[in-house]
Amino acid sequence: MTAEISGAGKRGDPAPSGAALRAASINKSYGAVVALHDVSMNLLPGEITGLVGDNGAGKSTLVKIISGVLRRDAGHIEFDGAPVNFGSPAEARASGIETVYQDLALVGNLTVWANLYLGRELTVGPRYLNILDKQRMSSNTHEMLKQFQINVPPMEAPVETLSGGQRQVISIARAAAWGSRLIVMDEPTAALGVAETRAVEEVILSLRQRGLSLLVISHNLDQIFRITDRIWVLRRGRMIGQRVTKETLPDEIVSMITGASAGVSGTH
Amino acid sequence: MRIDSPAGKIGSRGSRIRIGRGLLRRYGMTLVFLALVAFMLATKSQFGTYQNISNVLAQNSIIGIIACGMTFAIIVGGFDLSVGAVAALSSVVGATLMIDMDVLSIPIGIAGALLACLFVGVVNGLLIAYLGVNPFVSTLGTMTVVRGLIYVATNATPRFGVPYGFTTLGLGKLLGIPIPAIIFMIVALLLGFVLHKTRFGHYIYAVGGNAVAASEMGVNARRVRFAVYVLVSGCAALAGIILIGQTASATPQAALGYELTAIAAVIVGGAALGGGSGRMWGTIVGVFLLGVIANALNLFGVSPFWQPVATGLILIVAVALDGYSGRGEFVSR
Repeated sequence: MTAEISGAGKRGDPAPSGAALRAASINKSYGAVVALHDVSMNLLPGEITGLVGDNGAGKSTLVKIISGVLRRDAGHIEFDGAPVNFGSPAEARASGIETVYQDLALVGNLTVWANLYLGRELTVGPRYLNILDKQRMSSNTHEMLKQFQINVPPMEAPVETLSGGQRQVISIARAAAWGSRLIVMDEPTAALGVAETRAVEEVILSLRQRGLSLLVISHNLDQIFRITDRIWVLRRGRMIGQRVTKETLPDEIVSMITGASAGVSGTH
Repeated sequence: MRIDSPAGKIGSRGSRIRIGRGLLRRYGMTLVFLALVAFMLATKSQFGTYQNISNVLAQNSIIGIIACGMTFAIIVGGFDLSVGAVAALSSVVGATLMIDMDVLSIPIGIAGALLACLFVGVVNGLLIAYLGVNPFVSTLGTMTVVRGLIYVATNATPRFGVPYGFTTLGLGKLLGIPIPAIIFMIVALLLGFVLHKTRFGHYIYAVGGNAVAASEMGVNARRVRFAVYVLVSGCAALAGIILIGQTASATPQAALGYELTAIAAVIVGGAALGGGSGRMWGTIVGVFLLGVIANALNLFGVSPFWQPVATGLILIVAVALDGYSGRGEFVSR
């Protein structure tokens, strides 16, 4: 299985597509507290992978290591067939791993286009002047958002005036926009109502259609079963195992999360 | 997607209302200012005279230059209380060098004033951006230290003898316009361009709005904050140099209280103390609104002691009206 995965992503593909990620024997401690113990996980290209576990199971720590926010203590990670060890989110981003933060990382007083281009602004004219190309950013943003939403918000609206779902879509569209190959989402719909949650799930599914790989953390098991292809379960810092979503049932995942019933401890 | 539509529509309608409010907010003070000018023109014939207008321009340009820098500090989510002391530092260092140097006294004076002030700006920037000291505390500290050092060094006594030619900068006119006003105009245009057209200016709004999010997306929030405090001190230095031109002396008590007037002008001009909003045009209007009111009180023969009362009341009314119109709503996240 491992061999098949590490060969899957071809580096230097002209068209960006999803890439595989292989994490092996990851360890991470905060002082005396062991957050992750020998955790391994594989993400397949073009799949939506769910990561579930109880509070404090280590989901966020694992995701932060993958997205470059934290450094692992031991273990190794291969992305797209090459070993990686990110020192910052910017390094992860440069390799094609984008993270949609739980707080969305949007600046409320800035316009829609300004948030989409935050940190990557387009400029015109002489380089040393760094004059913003507002028109180009605005029209590009409109095009990008049109792929995800029927009602694209006005480009000049500050994002603090938009609904939670619209903001979430902006944050996801931004993550998908820069030739990224793996998008990591931490609780993408935690703050949303039912209707908006469905709309955001549609957006997530449309990213898979484009061939991107996705890693989704969610507390919402219904959602995990609606959108993922594969589910990995963490419990108290250890990877309990994985299941193909179509071949398992919520009860089994729940017992893996809680460790309630014997006989289901994983394939790992 | 079907489900997204109603939410999307509500969001858009809401934002259209907010944009309408935003326009009123952006140009409301301009209308108040124009109404005031119209009222003055109608009631006081003296107000419209060339002499009076050029006085108002000259008197408010120094505060104006400081307020241009302060606009950056307030939009980035802080402010700078040390600008008055820094302007005095510039004036004292600059004038002293001009008096004491035998050759190249004016260029050396200007360079010395700029260097001394930029040093204070660097200290402010390091404290606030890199050590995380609250802007109120750190700039209150530098303000007190700098003013104290000026008094120690000068024994709180002014010195005279700046080369006469230098007063052109403070008192001269070009094409009938006071030179300080021309300098203010250039500074406002230049900094307005930086604030509204360039990436650096854009990042000031981003960091002032949500520094955490901006950093997550790769904006170097510390460097932006640092640069802002150096820039504010640079503006104060320039103001101090023009003060030399107006007084032809090294005056330790120069620019007392200018920091609060400059902050008041920026806030009256529509910036929020919480950061993330404000415009250069608003600051210019704020400066001249306060300036014309002071002038009006003067023309109506009201005691100058009433002037701070008027400034304070305008500040409170402007902010209260603004809170009422919705600027008080911060992003709840």
